[in-house]
Amino acid sequence: MRPDLLRFAHWLARDRAIAEDIVQEALLRAWRSRDTLKDPGAARAWLLTIVRREHARLYERKRLELVSLDDVVEVQASRSFSEPDGELSALRHAIMKLPIEYREPLVLQVLGGFSTEEIAHELALSCTAVLTRLFRARNKLRVICGMTPAPEVATGESLR
Amino acid sequence: MSCEDTRLLIGADPGATTPALEEHLRTCPACASFRDEMRALDRDIRRALERPADMGRPRAGRQAWRQWALAASVVLATLAVLGLWLLRPNDTLAREVVAHVQKEPESWLATQHVSAQDIERALRGAGIALNVTSDRIMYAQSCWFHGHYVPHLVVQTARGPATVLILRHEQVRERRTFHEAGMSGVIAPAEHGSIAVLVRGGGSLDDIAAQMQQDMRSIAESH
Repeated sequence: MRPDLLRFAHWLARDRAIAEDIVQEALLRAWRSRDTLKDPGAARAWLLTIVRREHARLYERKRLELVSLDDVVEVQASRSFSEPDGELSALRHAIMKLPIEYREPLVLQVLGGFSTEEIAHELALSCTAVLTRLFRARNKLRVICGMTPAPEVATGESLR
Repeated sequence: MSCEDTRLLIGADPGATTPALEEHLRTCPACASFRDEMRALDRDIRRALERPADMGRPRAGRQAWRQWALAASVVLATLAVLGLWLLRPNDTLAREVVAHVQKEPESWLATQHVSAQDIERALRGAGIALNVTSDRIMYAQSCWFHGHYVPHLVVQTARGPATVLILRHEQVRERRTFHEAGMSGVIAPAEHGSIAVLVRGGGSLDDIAAQMQQDMRSIAESH
């Protein structure tokens, strides 16, 4: 379970050391509030939610030092040349460059297994807004992967 | 269901299946092809997300600092343990020498030199002899120390009385000084075992130790 949480936190924070801090703090919080977990089968989603909130709390609390995304991506891109899965590396870098409002629902959906309704509830958005963000996130990744971008859909969410 | 709605749903969740969606895909090859593409892309996205680029690898900056700090801690701990290990035997011996001298405080107070017979008696218990020509020895006892009788002498020096313990059964690798309980001392290797010299107060014992080394040679030459 911990590797899942760490991976999830890493995609949110884009920094392994911060992700480890987040997971450690989240596990402590989870332990303290373990009585609130009514269904043991929902433990994974419950923990992922705590990790996500801890990530948001961390940034609110500490105002973490901002790191140039170009630097992060450049460092990681330099590693990709030696990796056998070069295409996946490009995709990872593209995901890493997604703005948080697109990256977060995508990670919640793909890694966390959350439904659109659950993501909407967690992010305090409408289901339509979540669908739009997920659509745009994948559309940006399509471009990175050399596919033709799908035509934008009109959903009421402003374009970025 | 319109093509726009279909593509929004597929783009947002390529794995979604609803009756309305499936119905539309049966009659719209373009949207069906779009779903195939998106599902293939989603498989790659999942694979990419499951293994972030730097998971399991050290990162620059904060993580690197942590690793350097950890490495430095390990090195310091190792050096500390090594230092304690190297110091342990002699420091223990020094403490025991000091403790022994503290048990015989009267030894410092002697004001008259000891007779040659008393000196010989003190040395005999240790199985050694010393051709004493000096009247500088103010105290001479044969003391039980570490399972052996050892000569315990107090020698008058230019810096006042100095205690000398001739430790034939204690081997030390190198000269080591110590300061404990208001005393300064040195334990130095000798031809047979070692010799401990203590004075009250601080200061260098090099001159006294050198003289004692000379005395020890005299002891060895007497056998």
